[in-house]
Amino acid sequence: MSPLHVVGRSLPRSDGIGHVTGRTQYTTDHVFPGMLHLKVVRSPVHHARIRGVDLCEAERVPGFVRALTHADVPHNVYTILGLIGVEPEEEFVLAVDRVRYKGEPIVAIVAESERAALEAVARVKLDLEELPAVFDVEEALRPGAPIVTHWGNNTFMYEGHPCRRVRFGDVEAAFARADHIVEGRYDTKPIEHAPTETTAAIAVPEANGRFTVYTNTQALYFSLDNTSIILQVPGNQLHFIGGTVGGGFGGKVDVIVEPLATLAAMKTGRPVKYAFSRQEEMQVSSTRSAWRIYIKDGVMADGRLIARRVTSYADSGAYSRQTPYALTKHAANAAGPYAIPNVAIDAYCVFTNRQPTSAMRGFGITMASFAIEVQMDKIAERLGLDPWAVRFINAYHDGDMKPHRKLVEDATLIETMQAAARLVGHELPAEYLAMTSTPRPEGEA
Amino acid sequence: MSVQEYLMPRSLPEALDLLVRHGAELLVIAGGTVAMPLVNEGISLPERVMSLRHAGLDRLERRDGRLEIGAAATLTRLLNAPWVADVPLLAEAVRNTASWPVRNMGTVGGNLFTPPPGGDVAVALLALDAEVRLASPRGERVLPLTAFYTGFMTNALGPDELLAGITVPLAARETAFLKLGRKHANTPAVVTVAVALEREAGRVATARVALGAAGPHPMRVAGAEAALVGSPLDAATIGRAAEAATAEAQPFTDGVATEWYRRRMVGVVLRRALERLT
Amino acid sequence: MSSSIVTFTLGDREVDVMVTPMTTLQTVLRYQLGQTAVKEGCRQGGCGSCTVLVEGEPMLSCLLPVEEVAGRHVRTVETDTPTDGVSPLQQAFLDGGAFQCGYCTPGMLMTATALLERDPHPTHEAILEAMAGNVCRCTGYTPIVAAVEAAGERRG
Repeated sequence: MSPLHVVGRSLPRSDGIGHVTGRTQYTTDHVFPGMLHLKVVRSPVHHARIRGVDLCEAERVPGFVRALTHADVPHNVYTILGLIGVEPEEEFVLAVDRVRYKGEPIVAIVAESERAALEAVARVKLDLEELPAVFDVEEALRPGAPIVTHWGNNTFMYEGHPCRRVRFGDVEAAFARADHIVEGRYDTKPIEHAPTETTAAIAVPEANGRFTVYTNTQALYFSLDNTSIILQVPGNQLHFIGGTVGGGFGGKVDVIVEPLATLAAMKTGRPVKYAFSRQEEMQVSSTRSAWRIYIKDGVMADGRLIARRVTSYADSGAYSRQTPYALTKHAANAAGPYAIPNVAIDAYCVFTNRQPTSAMRGFGITMASFAIEVQMDKIAERLGLDPWAVRFINAYHDGDMKPHRKLVEDATLIETMQAAARLVGHELPAEYLAMTSTPRPEGEA
Repeated sequence: MSVQEYLMPRSLPEALDLLVRHGAELLVIAGGTVAMPLVNEGISLPERVMSLRHAGLDRLERRDGRLEIGAAATLTRLLNAPWVADVPLLAEAVRNTASWPVRNMGTVGGNLFTPPPGGDVAVALLALDAEVRLASPRGERVLPLTAFYTGFMTNALGPDELLAGITVPLAARETAFLKLGRKHANTPAVVTVAVALEREAGRVATARVALGAAGPHPMRVAGAEAALVGSPLDAATIGRAAEAATAEAQPFTDGVATEWYRRRMVGVVLRRALERLT
Repeated sequence: MSSSIVTFTLGDREVDVMVTPMTTLQTVLRYQLGQTAVKEGCRQGGCGSCTVLVEGEPMLSCLLPVEEVAGRHVRTVETDTPTDGVSPLQQAFLDGGAFQCGYCTPGMLMTATALLERDPHPTHEAILEAMAGNVCRCTGYTPIVAAVEAAGERRG
């Protein structure tokens, strides 16, 4: 008899009682006496040189406490994934001499009330020299395009190459002998996570000189470690308290509010809250990248894919955040769950003057799946084949070699399609019902 | 400066007096559903605010063949008025505006000031030949709602005037209201259409066609109305009216929809609204 | 700046709060009266997570200056939760797992409470129309609507 007490059972969630009674505590539910409010002056334009920042009028707003500029930030540059070797560092906590996207933070204002902070922000005068901006991934790669990064080109560099590259077999030779060439271009737009709870952190000075930071980050240790580096304080001086996140979906992984809130708490000796407004959450916080994916397939008349070339461009926006990592994941998956003997993938992480993009629900993969599966349907249509057939014929099996040189393990595409067909009442031909993902017999392609 | 005073005048004369005294720096709010988001976001930083909720401007009456709607009557109260069944066009417009709590707070008058693409109740009021009562210390004047809108985010309200009420003449009309949004409810308009017709001997005798989110403000479309008058309400007539409306519309691109899409949908939504009356 | 005292009834007790002019009911409830179940999702009237009942009517506390509730009766999830256990509506949410992150839940509960007080056995359509102002980014709404339907049946 199975001793399972949880698997296969419908159980009440342990946090349910807190949610339905309203007792669950979220970050901004914490109240601290003397708490200050932090609001940020943001670039109103897409790309500009900062010639000057005038705080005089802002400082005169009743309730103004202090302003923070880049000069106040001990280590003002970071890349969120720097801790796992994604380099170079390039995003500024507060902009220095150039802004690269509309909404980029320039000055942090700390005030006694939210209203005072908003008013002081409105009174900061920015002297900006607008620069040409670029918003399209392929435009950004053309000669003469405005350069967003500080290293001279608009791509993230992967070991000396401007893109993630996968080379498997010989696609050109395979295209030459293919019965059909099927091409497609697939575009997706940025998607905003739009969690019901906005991004927020409250930093509180403690009696022992440490700082407790309440945050709704999805990545508590990431946030703590990056804050420690940015503020140049040992990690043991920071006590990060997370908890229930009011919706993340990948939108609360970028360590945006904690460093400034903590810095402000250090500089004022008082608790400081930095919470995104709804407008900031929608227009400034990171989104899923827009993608442009070109697929060129060489297909035989019987539906077998013998070659696939994928050229992908992800719009990282003005800074890296998690997008360079997305491209690596993407390159490992862009051939799809299919056994294709010749594959070439060039996957570019492109910088534009759009808002920086980052993680969201399977980032790097979900958009690839969209492109791959529409392409498979296109192949079926072109060849006059059943779309199910095209997938069964090309599905990978355990033991197949993937284009990025990893063996397939625990493949289940075939079984999943069989189950899906059953669920929707679609009758599959016997040969597909008989298939399994088990390793192919020796000698079979 | 934070808000220095939140004024709650108890009568229209008191409200007008405060308006004259404080002038342009006074933020006038009723339900707050348009103004408060701007205040909360820090876009609007008023020092002095006047609420019209207690100034006796919320009466709802039917008399002498007219509806008298106080400017500060909430949308929900309008929906619950005993005579609302006599103006299904208005009821439908209210039902399609925002959400239940917003309708509990937002006012009929406030809907006239909703920035584009909003103001769906205003679209229905245009099709019903509504008039607005503008009050000032000098007295009251009445304007057709068509004359109230003067341009993008501009209207005929003078600096010493408040919208006191809206008058709707009751008439036996055939009406239809259709709003296209990106969701089924609680959504800004892609296009809103309100039509009101009278027919005689199988032909359209009078026609009012009003559009929302298809121009700088809620607007009537004279070309579509002319295409309807004198003809039977058949597919050909409807097609001509839809074409005329499409040509006359001045749609815009915003976060909700593009100009291109709005122009396409003007014809589609008008046609569907008119087909309901066939 | 002139603060004033606003008195209103919160649940079953009268409260006095000192406020600067046009402080929203949301701010007062959350930061002065400990009613943190009133959430702050947008402060634009678009998400419904700040929904409270004023004289039994659902209203968005983020858009409501506290002066406007002087002398009136305000209810939140906290005032409506029994001291022992949970209400039938709350139980229906628990039984149906009608939440994920929980941030929209208080607003959903307040609107549903107001609906059930007017219409004890609402139809599916009536629930959708009543709750169209409450946004959820996690659940896809289905379990929430089902929970309100279940609560409607239970009351019968």
